[in-house]
Amino acid sequence: MSGHHSSSYKLLLSVAGALLALTVLTVVVHYMYIPEPYSIIIAVVIAVFKAALVALFFMNLYWDSRFNTMLFITAFVFLTLLVGITLLDVLSRDVPVPSF
Amino acid sequence: MATAEASSNISKVQVRRYKPEEYAEHNYLNVAKGLWSWLTSVDHKRIGILYLVTTTFFFLVGGVMALLLRIELWTPAQTFVDANTYNQLFTLHGAIMIFLFLVPSVPAVLGNFILPIQVGAKDMALPRLNLFSYYLYAIGSLIAVYSILHGGIDTGWTFYTPYSSQTGGAVTSLVFGVFVVGFSSILTAVNIIATIHKLRAPGITWSKLSLFGWSLYATSIIIILATPVLAITLLLLTMERIFGIGIFDPALGGDPILFQHFFWFYSHPAVYIMIVPGFGIVSEIVSTFTRKVIFGYWAIAISSLAIAFIGFLVWGHHMFVSGQASLASMVFSFLSFLVGIPTGIKIFNWLATMHRGSISLRTPLLYILGFLFLFTIGGFTGIALATLALDVHVHDTYYVVAHFHFVMVGGMVMAFMGGLHYWWPKMFGRMYNQAVAKIGCLLIFLGFNLTFMPQFIMGIQGMPRRYFNYIDQFQGLHQISTIGAFVLGIGFIIAIANFIMAIYKGKKAGANPWGSRALEWQIPSPVPPHNFDHIPVIIHGPYDYHQPMADFQLGLATNGHAPAHGAEISAEKQETEE
Amino acid sequence: MANHSTTTPAHLLHHYVDSDQQFDAAKLGMWIFIVTETLMFGGLFGAYIVYRVLYPELFTLASEELDTIMGSINTVVLIGSSLTVALAIKSAQVNNKRNIIINLAITLALACVFMIIKYFEYTHKFELGIFPGVYYEYGGIDHPQAHIFFSIYYMMTGLHGIHITIGIGLMIWLLVKASKNEFHSGYYTPVEIVGLYWHLVDIIWIFLFPLFYLID
Repeated sequence: MSGHHSSSYKLLLSVAGALLALTVLTVVVHYMYIPEPYSIIIAVVIAVFKAALVALFFMNLYWDSRFNTMLFITAFVFLTLLVGITLLDVLSRDVPVPSF
Repeated sequence: MATAEASSNISKVQVRRYKPEEYAEHNYLNVAKGLWSWLTSVDHKRIGILYLVTTTFFFLVGGVMALLLRIELWTPAQTFVDANTYNQLFTLHGAIMIFLFLVPSVPAVLGNFILPIQVGAKDMALPRLNLFSYYLYAIGSLIAVYSILHGGIDTGWTFYTPYSSQTGGAVTSLVFGVFVVGFSSILTAVNIIATIHKLRAPGITWSKLSLFGWSLYATSIIIILATPVLAITLLLLTMERIFGIGIFDPALGGDPILFQHFFWFYSHPAVYIMIVPGFGIVSEIVSTFTRKVIFGYWAIAISSLAIAFIGFLVWGHHMFVSGQASLASMVFSFLSFLVGIPTGIKIFNWLATMHRGSISLRTPLLYILGFLFLFTIGGFTGIALATLALDVHVHDTYYVVAHFHFVMVGGMVMAFMGGLHYWWPKMFGRMYNQAVAKIGCLLIFLGFNLTFMPQFIMGIQGMPRRYFNYIDQFQGLHQISTIGAFVLGIGFIIAIANFIMAIYKGKKAGANPWGSRALEWQIPSPVPPHNFDHIPVIIHGPYDYHQPMADFQLGLATNGHAPAHGAEISAEKQETEE
Repeated sequence: MANHSTTTPAHLLHHYVDSDQQFDAAKLGMWIFIVTETLMFGGLFGAYIVYRVLYPELFTLASEELDTIMGSINTVVLIGSSLTVALAIKSAQVNNKRNIIINLAITLALACVFMIIKYFEYTHKFELGIFPGVYYEYGGIDHPQAHIFFSIYYMMTGLHGIHITIGIGLMIWLLVKASKNEFHSGYYTPVEIVGLYWHLVDIIWIFLFPLFYLID
């Protein structure tokens, strides 16, 4: 297994183009003033798409050893554990501490 | 000369066997002289020795602090230091022992030294990064020493907010020191994982990787996932002290329990960072000194990974009385019990390995027997503490103190001492005095029990931890504990002195004094500068005691191309020439 | 190995069999480091989520103080620099040494542009009295815990800015090496490794941008 991958100029430029388009899209959606929970959801979904484009085609995960992809995903799984279980506590506390 | 024809899944490989030399003219110790050659060496063995010297120094510093604490507790009131000094002593004892000794000890000392040899590599994957990580460790520990001398710290090693963001002293600089040491252990972990993945010699498949290697692999995974969260937590604490950012300060609308969540997200897995490499040492020693194939290779290997994973789900059991939601406490309590399963699997596998083995009670195995006894007690009391209702009763008492000392000292330090006694002849080519080593082991075992057994009793009777004064009824138990601490200290001094004597006066040990099948014993002692003249081809696994010793001569690919790294090599046909 | 038939290239360390093994090991090491970086920033994202849950209305109120236009420009700048890093690697792979230098120089320039825009954003807030933590003295946000939002904002963008600064240093290092003609299609490991780092910094900003600038 060798990790060298050479993308074509066309691919690199079109990925960058897609990233710019998604940036414009997320700003435009922002100025449409969609109500609260949906606006942040749309913004984060677009961000996830952009991050995936960078990871797959700029960081070459699409062609690389599957183990590197697994590592990257593992990071997010454990981040979810940290935030998820912390929220389990924060949301179910009888008296939220900051109010005293 | 024997030839074995081995086949890989890609191509047939001709393997020539050669007998290891007992002694090599050049070894890593005599290849270059002078302190400068040591401080700038990227050789994994020399870096391991550098770590050994530094961590031992901090172990002694932390140990002296423990003895001072025990002397102070000889009488119920003030004995010889004031209360504030006492607070600083237990804080520094904890912080030094955990961050400067226990976390780096096995991965950075024995892992650095032994792991590349066990995977048949000439060095760690990223040698310059390895040296860099040592210097980060050195800088971080110097910052810690600076903090001790300039103000001291009285927060306890856990740095709980909001006290830690308001108290005086050198909290900021100690926290920064720990931050730097944390990056050092991250880089060591990066190196270990890269070495295991990319540098295994031909023939060392995942199923022939040593269990020490597996345990370091699991440990490294914990380090890379947990340590960055500690780093960011400590950074937030520092900002809290400098700018009062208020994230952990209830007076500013922050949530102090959030600090505890973040802190224990690292510090609970950190317990496994400390103990899991010890498990690896136990597997190596048990197999070697019972002359048996390790029982349940995959069970032991996978249970390390299982411990690593479950270890991330249980941190809240440190926070049962912190004001955490009762729902979260119940979930954490349940999940904490699960850690007992993979740990129990390991204990039973080691016992099964010893069953009907040809046991030789050499010093390393004695330490491991001590480990099995003490760690099992530590583990069971841990299960007791994970019980929500019981923990509310004994939380922050000496019961907890005794529990984690049984795991950390009774488990980890015993395994580390066993590992040092096991690999010392390989590291320095000299054998230590067996009788003295056994006396040291016995004193450590007895002294340890004398120190910490009474603390279980005191804890269950309600003696709170970290207290400067106590009521008269505990004095007898406290005094037994103090005497035990000194016996323990004498035991360590004897063991360390014996090691140092061995370097100068010990008998030459030879390549394989224990008759082990593991790869590191098939090369000369002390180890040659590049471990192997050529990257070897490995036929059998490290625990194949059912195979004749002659099969463990190093193989060398002879026909043109070397097999791919980590490729499956099997000795199909074996013929003897000459 | 026993079969060293060709001469060893200068960049190959003694304990590797060949350049590919060395390249893969370095890249694996970098990916593991990226995991640690993700979790380090993850802690801050965790704090962000927890405080958003505790004070939901604070985040929408305070976000109005942030300049969406400046944030958008910085996003475009970072995406552009990610592209040029990828192009630098591509240039190394096709042995175009002049283009390696040009692309690295553009990346360096874009990183500096990002920091300059960040500088204007920060100084504007300092003029209003929006300082982190207890030094916060701005009266324009009707919420008792307004300083918490800006503490998190300064922590996250500040740590990100430190990463950009480190990236600037790394780009200069690469430029020095590239100008000595050290990179070619057989050896460009440092460019690849720094590239991975730079893309990660970009990804972090891709999340910081909507979470701070696009929630009002």
